Amino acid sequence: MRLAAILLGVVLAGAVALAVADWRGGSAGEPPTGSTLSATYVDPDGNGRLDRGAGEALVDRSELAPSARPGRQLALFAQLSDAHVVDEESPARLPFLDRLGAPLTSTFRPQEALTGQVLAATVESLNALGPQAVVSTGDLIDNAQSNELSQALSILRGGTVDPNGGAPGYDGVQSADNPDPLYYRPDVDAPRHPGLLEEAERPFPSPGLHAPWYPVMGNHELLFQGEVRPSARTSSVATGRRALLRLDPSVEIPTDERALTPDLVDRLLSGGLPGPTAGTPPDRSRRQLPAEGVARRLRGAGDVGGRRPLLDYSFDIAPGVRGIALDAARRDGGAKGRLGPGQIEWLSRELDRAGRRWVVVFSHQPLDSFAGGRRALAVLDRSPGVVAAVAGHTHRNSIVPRRSPSGGYWLVTTGALIDYPQQSRAFRLLQTANGVALETWMVDHSEANLAGVSRELAFLDAQGGRPRGNAGTRLDRNARLFKASSIRR
Amino acid sequence: MNVVSARGLTKTYGRGRAARKVLDAADLDVSGGEMVAVAGRSGSGKSTLLHLIGGLDRPDAGTLEVAGSRLDRLTERGFTDLRRHQVGFIFQFFHLVPELTGEENVAMPTRLVNGHSSGLARARALIRELGLDEVSGRLPHTLSGGEQQRFAIARALVNEPAVLLADEPTGNLDADAARTVLRHLRAVASGGRAVLLATHDEAAAEIADRVVHLDGGRLRA
Amino acid sequence: MIASARGAWSRLRGRRGRSLLAAAGIAAVAAMMGTATTVAYGLATGFDRAAERADLPDLIARFEPEQVDEVDARVEALPNVASRSYRQEATEVPLASAGQATSSGAVHVVGDGRRGYAIVAGDDLSGAGDEVVVERGLADAWGLAPGDRLSVAGVDARIVGVAVAPDNVAFPLASAPRVYVASQGLGAQLGADPGLTNMALIWSQDPSRLDTTLVQARAVSFGIDNLRFLTRAGVQVQLDEAAGIVIALLIAFSAAALGVAGVTLGATARAEVQRRLETIGVMRGLGFSRIGVAAQYGLEAVIVAVPAGALGLGVGALLAYGPSARLLESLNELPPGAALLAPLAGCLLVIVGLVALATMWPAWRAASRRPAEILRGAELTARPRRLPYPAGFFGLGARLVAARVGRTAATVSVLAVSTALVLLMLALATRLDALQNDPASLGKRYQLTVNGAPDSTLPVVRDVPGVAAAAPRYEASAADSFQLGETFKLIAFPGDHTEYESPPVTEGRRVQTAGEAEIGAGLANALGARRGSTIAAQLGSGREVRFRVVGIVAALGNEGRVAYVRPTRLLEGDPGLTPAIAVRLSPGADPAQVTSELRSRGIDTAAVGAATSSSREFLGVLADVLRVVAIVNILIALFILTQSLALTALERRPTLAVLRAGGAGRREVALVLAGGATLVVALAAPAGVVLERAVLGPAVADMAVDYVTLPLSADVGQITFAVLGLLLLALTAALWVARQVGRTPIAVALREE
Repeated sequence: MRLAAILLGVVLAGAVALAVADWRGGSAGEPPTGSTLSATYVDPDGNGRLDRGAGEALVDRSELAPSARPGRQLALFAQLSDAHVVDEESPARLPFLDRLGAPLTSTFRPQEALTGQVLAATVESLNALGPQAVVSTGDLIDNAQSNELSQALSILRGGTVDPNGGAPGYDGVQSADNPDPLYYRPDVDAPRHPGLLEEAERPFPSPGLHAPWYPVMGNHELLFQGEVRPSARTSSVATGRRALLRLDPSVEIPTDERALTPDLVDRLLSGGLPGPTAGTPPDRSRRQLPAEGVARRLRGAGDVGGRRPLLDYSFDIAPGVRGIALDAARRDGGAKGRLGPGQIEWLSRELDRAGRRWVVVFSHQPLDSFAGGRRALAVLDRSPGVVAAVAGHTHRNSIVPRRSPSGGYWLVTTGALIDYPQQSRAFRLLQTANGVALETWMVDHSEANLAGVSRELAFLDAQGGRPRGNAGTRLDRNARLFKASSIRR
Repeated sequence: MNVVSARGLTKTYGRGRAARKVLDAADLDVSGGEMVAVAGRSGSGKSTLLHLIGGLDRPDAGTLEVAGSRLDRLTERGFTDLRRHQVGFIFQFFHLVPELTGEENVAMPTRLVNGHSSGLARARALIRELGLDEVSGRLPHTLSGGEQQRFAIARALVNEPAVLLADEPTGNLDADAARTVLRHLRAVASGGRAVLLATHDEAAAEIADRVVHLDGGRLRA
Repeated sequence: MIASARGAWSRLRGRRGRSLLAAAGIAAVAAMMGTATTVAYGLATGFDRAAERADLPDLIARFEPEQVDEVDARVEALPNVASRSYRQEATEVPLASAGQATSSGAVHVVGDGRRGYAIVAGDDLSGAGDEVVVERGLADAWGLAPGDRLSVAGVDARIVGVAVAPDNVAFPLASAPRVYVASQGLGAQLGADPGLTNMALIWSQDPSRLDTTLVQARAVSFGIDNLRFLTRAGVQVQLDEAAGIVIALLIAFSAAALGVAGVTLGATARAEVQRRLETIGVMRGLGFSRIGVAAQYGLEAVIVAVPAGALGLGVGALLAYGPSARLLESLNELPPGAALLAPLAGCLLVIVGLVALATMWPAWRAASRRPAEILRGAELTARPRRLPYPAGFFGLGARLVAARVGRTAATVSVLAVSTALVLLMLALATRLDALQNDPASLGKRYQLTVNGAPDSTLPVVRDVPGVAAAAPRYEASAADSFQLGETFKLIAFPGDHTEYESPPVTEGRRVQTAGEAEIGAGLANALGARRGSTIAAQLGSGREVRFRVVGIVAALGNEGRVAYVRPTRLLEGDPGLTPAIAVRLSPGADPAQVTSELRSRGIDTAAVGAATSSSREFLGVLADVLRVVAIVNILIALFILTQSLALTALERRPTLAVLRAGGAGRREVALVLAGGATLVVALAAPAGVVLERAVLGPAVADMAVDYVTLPLSADVGQITFAVLGLLLLALTAALWVARQVGRTPIAVALREE
């Protein structure tokens, strides 16, 4: 009798343990897809805390063509933009410029030590989506430094990533002992995250993108602070052993970005760093890369081939769907885009080559934001196969229709991974009765490796994506974009 | 000479319909060296008579003189003095203080009068006299009833009162012990004190010089 | 149930005198609790209540005048902001009303949006031309009411309302009386530019996450000059600076009052049951169950305790309500009003519950004995022992009492607790007096301060006879840059500050170099700082200075939010800081004489108080209250002693009667009782002293304030006072009970047998 009771007890305990294990496995084992269609991060009561909330369903947008029943899937692809993987400890950083206002805004962000982790978490979410192609629409790194590019590429490739620059551990403006009240110090300031910086400098794993990925050149890949062409002087600042603490009050930074020429910067640096400095552990890998070098490494990493100095190329997203990447980054300085006449001609030829296939065009700067881009749009206007022109750079979600005689297409920009809401974008092209529907929705990154902390900090940032409205409206996020076309396949 | 002289003693308990006249114009005289037994049924007022004579209670009417003091005229302090110097009391239930030894019980009242040390000597002499030497250091609950009552007698006598009032002193004792106690009381009377004994014990009545009967609140010989 | 209640009622009426006595005891204890509860509850919740009523913002930012649009763009971007509004504050504005005038008025020009004050009389500003709302402190001090006229900077204005805003203490405790005007109304007449602001009021969505809002506010504060943040919590600290210790002590006191109440009520109820053992025997004999007996007694106790408790609580609350409301008004806080009923009701429940339990428990226990045994009385149940007490009546009394070991132990423990509480109250009162008058209690070792340039004044001061030492003393208010809500004081002396201020070091060591700080435990707690931490102080100049914490000190001043440093860095951060000169007198020197000596040399002095002037009166009142409570406590001790003796006398009626029959007078009976009482006191007094010094004192000191160790151990004088007092009480109780015993005819007492 007693034996039976003991046996029964053991069996029951085992059953409970199994049930618990199963329950734990059920919640933790299921990878989050990150799709905001089912759930996303919201702050309904406005207290600054993000929680998982209801997802946002697709909104039908029929400005260009009436809604139609979506049919066969033609392609599934994704876009990530403006990851700004940054060596935040670099002496080439000028975080104090933040307080001077335009054009050098966003030179400091509370979450900047976690850019690599956010990119890795994005990779994880996109892998769960399982796209046929992933396009990085520029500003993959922040400050044109070699070590930034190495880090970003190794995250996309997969493996263990070492985010640390300079000496081991954190050595930057967010240290607890920095008295400057304008920087968020995770060890002491709210929301407190003691040890965050140490943790941020530790190697972390990245799964690597499982899909083929395609790089688009941004201004931050090439330019010092995304604005200034690197020179021997700026590069020696980056690899140097002194960091500028604040700008000498006598130094005047021009408010017009066109005045911010390499010459001016060289002049500023001619007498050494213009202001009080502090020692910093030097790091040779911080050298600033020449534009050709950046393009070469991006081509190699994305396996897009070619040898031209400009990163213009076309590729198959899926059978019957072409992608065209335009390199609008200026090599001479300035954040605005530029497309030369040769590039416009090349684009025209590529559209012809695409024939009856659907086309999606990718650039860093939105094509409607600069003269060369507008000329490119004029070319696209004539092509009935163009579904969308997709860009980044603005750090802001937006979807607007572009009407044209050939049926029009959609201009899509996507927010930055570095700023709130730290989302990437998924696209699904579907056949409809009279054309196509491009379904698009935002994808939240997983919370892996401190990326969740980064999202929290990005949300709180009073100079960040939240107050600037970077998430856009619902119409700018999850939508079904209809296009009618004469093209029949 | 009369140590106790009562005329027309009246005492009533209760009021109205519950009123009960316990003593109704009782007269009594007791002289020094005399042992008088008051006999009567239970509740006939024997104890009340003793209490009045001992200054424990006041009569409603009548005159009462004890050892030369008119009790009906005494103040509270006067009563205390009377009890202290002129009257000794023993009770059916002995009423020794349980926390004190026999000797301490006997010596306690000597603290009430001047000359405590001579009192102590008297206490020891009395204990010897009453044959309690051997047990003088014991606590009451370890003593026999007879022994306890003898200590009580010693305590009552230690301040050399003129009158000893004994309320059923043998009521709680076996025959042997009762005899011893009565013998001692007889000796006390023989020593010149007045002894007034409330009892319905035949033996007590026999040993007394005279017996008065309390009946219907009146005393008769 | 009704029948048994009626039975209980008639039994109570049957012994009306004793029931009334018990009721009086309960009422007295309830009154004590009522007083303590009213004051403590009012003070503890006053700020929150006022803040709630006034819709006090969670964050107030003050700065040099800026464009509203410019500021609002930044405020709008902050996380966790529910709403915001802006004011323009003008200070040093002349205000005048019939016969009253000041030149230091503060005019707050308010715009649209939430106001952040509560209108307690009249109406809010409607925006009409000549409207003004005045703060309650000003209205009270000047006798102003809605409808009256007030001259604001020479402009005749009509008072439409009276407001309370607990973001500062009230005028005249605050030197500047505040008035509010609408920007489109009187503000425009006064020439205020509606496009400018120097004060932002921010309400958060979630006040518990205000720290994140603050960090972001700091991050976007560039270009805004002389920015000062004041959080709601910071406001409370400021307001409570005066009342903080007092509130804590009052709460401790309430706990003590509850303790007294418990032991007293328990003892009384127990005594009552003992007294009526016989009835219990009869009830048991009649077939009542144990539970029935206990329930009967409980019911009787409740019938007495409910009205008595309610009455006592009511009286106590009414007595304390007025003064505590005035105190709250001076702090710009609101009295609790009807909200007080809840804690008072709680007190009543506690009192009634205690009485019922304390009655039912002994009744339950007594009922467990055989009815015959109970009926036979108590004297025979105890087995007497030889005890080494002196002979004689005094010694006899001790023996009588000691014979009842259980009851004596209970009485002794109750009395010991009571003694300990009396000692605690006396120690508290003394401590409060010291806080009030003696700078040394705040660790200050200098007695005078002198204003003047150190270079010229110091040599003169040092030459004055009676001056032992003098040194410049720098004091600066600072906000912690890490946690902007926390404000504290930086205090610096060149060289060894312990010569002038020497709060005891509880951890670490004293400051030795320029970069080090000793911080008060209050600051350490607020910042979570420990030895080795860095504190960053934002000075009035806007600059930040940093110090490494080398020691934690038990400082009482400013709620322990102080840091002792060397002046070097402090002056680097704020070169404009001017010191006062601290003067330490030689032992035995007369401060008055030194003061007049200094005055004859043209130097003005100020005596160093301990508490701030605003709280001094308050502390004085509280010390008096505590003394009264101590006296009440003493009376309660007398009550306990008397109860215990009366019970002994009751039980030992035969013994006492025999003594009386043998000629013992009232004096001797009193002597017997005094002997018993003295035994109890002799046991209770040392136990009480030990209890106070070892348990209650330290416990209350811990409970009262976490930022400092208040020495609350009774001193020799207080102990002597308490012990002598107890002996006196013993004598009084003995005489009282002896009188009662003397009133019972001996014959009656004897007949009981």
